[in-house]
Amino acid sequence: MAFLTLDGLTKRYGEVTAVDSLSCSVEKGEFVSLLGPSGCGKTTTLQMIAGFEQPSAGHIRLGGRDLAAIPARERGLGIVFQSYALFLHMTVRENVAFGLEMRKVAKKELKARVERALELVHLGALADRYPRAMSGGQRQRVALARALVIEPELLLLDEPLSNLDAKLREEMQLELRRIQREAGVTTLMVTHDQSEALAMSDRVVVMDGGQLQQVDSPFNVYETPRCSFVSTFLGKSNNFAAMLESRDATGSVLACNGVTLRGPVAHLRPGPAEIAIRPERIRLAAPGEGLLRGTVQERVFLGAQWMLAIDTPLGGFLVARPNSGAQEVEIGAEVGLDWSPADMRILPAGEAA
Amino acid sequence: MNRNGAFSKAFNILFCAFMLAPIVVVLGVSFTPEGFLEFPPSGISLRWYEAILDNPDFIQAAWISLQLAFAAATVATLLAIPAALAIGQSRFRGRDALQAIFLSPLMVPTVVLGIAFLRFLSLFGLNGTFAGLTACHAIIITPFILRLVLAAVTGLDMSAARAAESLGAGRWTVFRRITLPAILPGVVGGWVLAFITSFDELTVTVFIVNPSTTTLPVRMFSHITQTTDPLVASVSSVTVIFSLALMILVDRLYGLDRLLIGEGKKA
Ligand SMILES: Nc1ncnc2c1ncn2[C@@H]1O[C@H](COP(=O)(O)OP(=O)(O)OP(=O)(O)O)[C@@H](O)[C@H]1O
Ligand SMILES: [Mg+2]
Repeated sequence: MAFLTLDGLTKRYGEVTAVDSLSCSVEKGEFVSLLGPSGCGKTTTLQMIAGFEQPSAGHIRLGGRDLAAIPARERGLGIVFQSYALFLHMTVRENVAFGLEMRKVAKKELKARVERALELVHLGALADRYPRAMSGGQRQRVALARALVIEPELLLLDEPLSNLDAKLREEMQLELRRIQREAGVTTLMVTHDQSEALAMSDRVVVMDGGQLQQVDSPFNVYETPRCSFVSTFLGKSNNFAAMLESRDATGSVLACNGVTLRGPVAHLRPGPAEIAIRPERIRLAAPGEGLLRGTVQERVFLGAQWMLAIDTPLGGFLVARPNSGAQEVEIGAEVGLDWSPADMRILPAGEAA
Repeated sequence: MNRNGAFSKAFNILFCAFMLAPIVVVLGVSFTPEGFLEFPPSGISLRWYEAILDNPDFIQAAWISLQLAFAAATVATLLAIPAALAIGQSRFRGRDALQAIFLSPLMVPTVVLGIAFLRFLSLFGLNGTFAGLTACHAIIITPFILRLVLAAVTGLDMSAARAAESLGAGRWTVFRRITLPAILPGVVGGWVLAFITSFDELTVTVFIVNPSTTTLPVRMFSHITQTTDPLVASVSSVTVIFSLALMILVDRLYGLDRLLIGEGKKA
């Protein structure tokens, strides 16, 4: 049985269903991200696990125990709040020591454990500072040390990096992952940043509108999204409504806006469907060659790659091309678009145009 | 930063003069060597300060006022803290009503309050007692504290309390170790403001004192209804200096602008 299990977890606020029968599980030692757009119920889910919100329905089990009857202060979880929630009138050392004091840990051991936690987050030198006199990244690490020092069974992180600037955030992603691995603590992290979720997690739980959309490894949610929402929320994707006309063991045939396309083996019944192709899987060919003909509408240079917006009979395509050092095709150029059928994903009909 | 025009500068100066003039006059009068109120004083004398020492009833009244202000401010603070936490941190039915009740002593004319208290205390046989006075003063000054504490509570990050709870702290520990230190400037500011308000409360108090619990303002009031010697000026000056000293002490400890205007940028 999994270490943490959410079973039909539901939270209603009057008319609003913030979390809608969410079921998933986290294994011991795993780093799992809860990913979804703003307002999809991530924080609410975390608060229910932490014990600050009462579920309207469903169960939370941790290490075999049902948490329903256990108050927040007895759950023994490490929590890093989005705002860090540091105790501003206490020094860094006092902040970190707080949880151990509550556990009546003996003075000597307490000192040693606080020291060790501060070492872990590289803050040993700043132990006597007050949080107000620290940078965002440092505060975040104080919050992390404070949560880790009690050696929690489960670490809950609510958008821990969202207050940091882009560069610091990337550094802290690696740092956080290192700390988590060294401490070996099972971690559930809430984020709305898909690249953060992909970069850090063992598995990603994708949510939308309070409901679970997909649970999988970062590679799998990106490569084999199960629905239209997941394909567009993680990374960029060219999605079009299509009609699945036939399928067999070798592949499938789809009609899309009058164009007939070959696709991979489909698991759907013939009928309305949606196709998705990642921008980086599309190759440019000479006009008239490849699968589609198109005109370059827009060209954006992103350093490592170019992003092209290309108008085709199917609609607008985004195409990513690595920067090879050579000049890229000009705006207005006629091009051909080509991809291998295996790179196309066939999804249940969604809301894509 | 200072881009005030000549007009607003003049306004500020006039305003300060208007606020300070009575105090300057009282201080001036208190140093007169004469036996009547005179300003500017014709000389400098400590005669009327010495006279305070010859009036043990004034000293007795001042002592009662100090004790009363201390007790009432403390009682009111103990009422205001839980009320502010409830009003500021949670949503429940009757929350606005609760706040209105706590602030209502500000809205009722003090004379009306005085008469009401008189009736009420007689009912319990507490009229003129120190306990009765303390209760009435506590009611009058609670709104002052409540507003300062409420301001502190409203600016509070609730997640700090949750963080403490998740680390294993019980409700009382969370309050004592996390919430109270965070709102302490507001609490101390409210206590001082309440102390001073109680210390010079007159309108309500005249209705409910008896000779053994006469407060300083009531004593001074009855003094000037009989004679108009500069004794009241010297007594007033002493209380002004006392209030000033209290303010300076609090400023040293917590920063006065932070208390009265809100959280400053001090680390
Ligand atoms: N106390 C509450 N009362 C009513 N509705 C609430 C309450 N708390 C949250 N909600 C609603 O529940 C939904 C989920 O909120 P939640 O805070 O879990 O979102 P989130 O996924 O954490 O979003 P974000 O990424 O913006 O933090 C939202 O629609 C929100 O408006
Ligand atoms: Mg949130």
